[in-house]
Amino acid sequence: MSEIVGIDLGTTNSLIGVMDSGFPILIADRDGSRLTPSVVYLPENGDPVVGAPADRMRALMPERTLYSVKRLIGRRPGESEKEDFPFAVRSVNGRMLLEIGDQLLKPEEVSSLLLKKLKADAETSLGHSVDRAVISVPAYFNDLQRQATKSAGELAGFTIERIINEPTAAALAYGLDRLRDRSKIAVYDLGGGTFDISILELNEGVFRVLSTNGNTRLGGDDIDRELVRLLKERIIGRYPELRPELDDRLFFARIREIAHAAKLRLSTEDVVQVEIPFLSGNRSFSYALTRMELEAIARPIIRRTRSHCLRSLDDAKLDPVKLDEVILVGGVTRMPIVRQFCAEVFQRLPNITQNPDEAVAAGATIQAGILSGEVQNVVLLDVTPLSLGIETFGGLMNVIIPRNTTIPCKAGEMFTNAVANQTAMQIVVLQGERELAKDNWELGRFNLEFEPVPKGIARVGVQFEIDADGILHVLARDTRAGREKVVELSSAVDVSDEAVEKMIAESLDHAFEDMSERVWAEAVLKSNELVPAVRSALTLVGDQINSEDQRKIDVLVSEVEAALKSHDSQRLKKANAELDEGTQHLATLLIDRAMNEAARRKK
Amino acid sequence: MIDYFALLGVERRPAITEEILKGAYFRKSESLQSDPSESGERFAVNAAFRIIANPATRIQHLLTLEFGEPGGGQIGADLGELFGSIVKVLQSADHQLGSLAAQSSPILRALEYQRLEGLRPQLEQVEKELSQRESGLLAELVRLDQRWLENTARTRRPLAQMALDLTFVQKWLSQVRERIIRLEELA
Ligand SMILES: Nc1ncnc2c1ncn2[C@@H]1O[C@H](COP(=O)(O)OP(=O)(O)O)[C@@H](O)[C@H]1O
Ligand SMILES: [Mg+2]
Repeated sequence: MSEIVGIDLGTTNSLIGVMDSGFPILIADRDGSRLTPSVVYLPENGDPVVGAPADRMRALMPERTLYSVKRLIGRRPGESEKEDFPFAVRSVNGRMLLEIGDQLLKPEEVSSLLLKKLKADAETSLGHSVDRAVISVPAYFNDLQRQATKSAGELAGFTIERIINEPTAAALAYGLDRLRDRSKIAVYDLGGGTFDISILELNEGVFRVLSTNGNTRLGGDDIDRELVRLLKERIIGRYPELRPELDDRLFFARIREIAHAAKLRLSTEDVVQVEIPFLSGNRSFSYALTRMELEAIARPIIRRTRSHCLRSLDDAKLDPVKLDEVILVGGVTRMPIVRQFCAEVFQRLPNITQNPDEAVAAGATIQAGILSGEVQNVVLLDVTPLSLGIETFGGLMNVIIPRNTTIPCKAGEMFTNAVANQTAMQIVVLQGERELAKDNWELGRFNLEFEPVPKGIARVGVQFEIDADGILHVLARDTRAGREKVVELSSAVDVSDEAVEKMIAESLDHAFEDMSERVWAEAVLKSNELVPAVRSALTLVGDQINSEDQRKIDVLVSEVEAALKSHDSQRLKKANAELDEGTQHLATLLIDRAMNEAARRKK
Repeated sequence: MIDYFALLGVERRPAITEEILKGAYFRKSESLQSDPSESGERFAVNAAFRIIANPATRIQHLLTLEFGEPGGGQIGADLGELFGSIVKVLQSADHQLGSLAAQSSPILRALEYQRLEGLRPQLEQVEKELSQRESGLLAELVRLDQRWLENTARTRRPLAQMALDLTFVQKWLSQVRERIIRLEELA
């Protein structure tokens, strides 16, 4: 039996490791680096470039340099807000595809290029071929995202022995030295594109996940995006004439790179001089960015992790004081503000002994060692993060396997024919926590077939089984005929999405013609609510913002007032939107104030 | 019908300490992990733990094994009354949280959030009441466990009642807690 490698296929960085005499060893590539940036550059002619050299192409060839592809894997178009990538993402037949020149690529194909590079590195280092792997995924990945990751591995030539959840892997890496311990730990993992929180119980070699929660679209990328926005604003403040140029993709990529570098430094420094030489012509831009400014934009993003932490504690039926340790993983947890935040939510100082870049890969490698028998006396009991159910009459979700059920698990449902001689019924399979079917992920649908018999006589059992990878299998058994078969789920979206999008766009165009009066009335209504609200916010927390920001808000308010007199609904809508955006910080301060007050009252 | 008590190797009775249950479950999982041919049994072992770990489902399973059915009935009158007040709080919470979620302006939302502060103590109050009920029921379970050992048949009805009450209390608790978290989330 050949060895199994462990892989952390990250949004930002990827790593590969192998067990060596009972310890996980991460493998370095030719350049001596264990961290491979998850970036792929596809030149017009020639082979794909992967990792650090591709990363260097990001600002030069933004349209051909793919990064953060993990945010797209296993996703369907329209699931949430559009991402602002400098490369083209298109929806075709219900899938998100990357369009580079005349090529269309699935996200898993791009990921497989990364995996191939890691595989080659491992083979060079070990001196023989490797073809079995454990790959980690965010704990909160749904079934489709897990399946897509698995197929990325298969495309790269691996047999995927197990999909492991990232925070669980990090816990394995942490717990390997503490195998005789009994303790409850929380793993807080904030990476480039995903956030996961898992609560585990270590019990003499048994790693049992009590609960898991998270968000597959929350991470350092969001902080970068907001920082780019802030820098753009500052640039426009200095050079208003540059406004149109700033929307250029090349330009976006350049600022993004500079913003990112500044962000990293602000984790250890208080001020960073942001320099953009030759911004346009010979105009240069220089700005002293403070950690305080960065924290002001990062705070609302980090605060979004709070409810996930609370839910996972609640699901684990655990008070934070019962935790023995909070472990931080993921590059973003290097930010001091994240550490403070965790200290506050969990009421203890977090443990930062895990290398935030390497813990997940080390854990995936340990899991590989468990599967190959090299690591003994370790038992891993993980859970499924999301409830699984089916759609019932009235469009509700009927839960069949609740979230945080230990995997592998299975559950069945019995179905019968509602009318005589009915030969089939459609079953829609859902994943998620919302009450309405349409608010959950649709994993697919299938036709359940009956023998033609009188009403209520047919008996077909459907078994839903979630395997140790967290992947769903469905089996149908006709108990009268004694037949059994594995059911294939078909993707729900088969109409071309572009057709749908076009339809929506067209109907909106027409709607607007009749509705211009209504648009105006709604915008006025909003202004009339917004302007007094801003004023009252200023009296409450206005002393906490600097005079420049005060003045800017004043300008935005005057523009709303001017627009109100113009009877130009587009102008008013724009003015409202700008006032919304310009007062985001003010809103954050208000909420901080409300929270502080609530906390004080509790004491 | 699988006997999950037997499967895990724990005594068949209403109350089982977490310590004993986990010990049994972990030993079982460990023996299965080293034997890949037993992978099918892992489903059953996980299901067994899930059912036995929750007192409500454990009692229902126990009664089904002993008497062929879990027994049913109606929730107690005092719980019914409590339920009325919980529904009111939940409805008002959903209404307020809904209008907060629909608010797209950050500043309007922040002001509305401040106004929502009255909701939190209300939710916390019912949460506290329900938690007390839950602890009360669990204490009662220990007494019933003793009675069960003395006289199984006579303990059947009160146990069935308890399982039912517990199921409802747990369900409401999770609904109330979900609202408290939603309130945090919308901040
Ligand atoms: N010193 C730092 N300060 C702030 N953010 C950091 C720092 N180092 C890395 N990051 C951020 O962490 C994210 C990458 O974290 P990582 O755990 O490697 O991600 P992933 O698991 O998504 O590959 C990026 O958004 C990166 O900007
Ligand atoms: Mg990661």
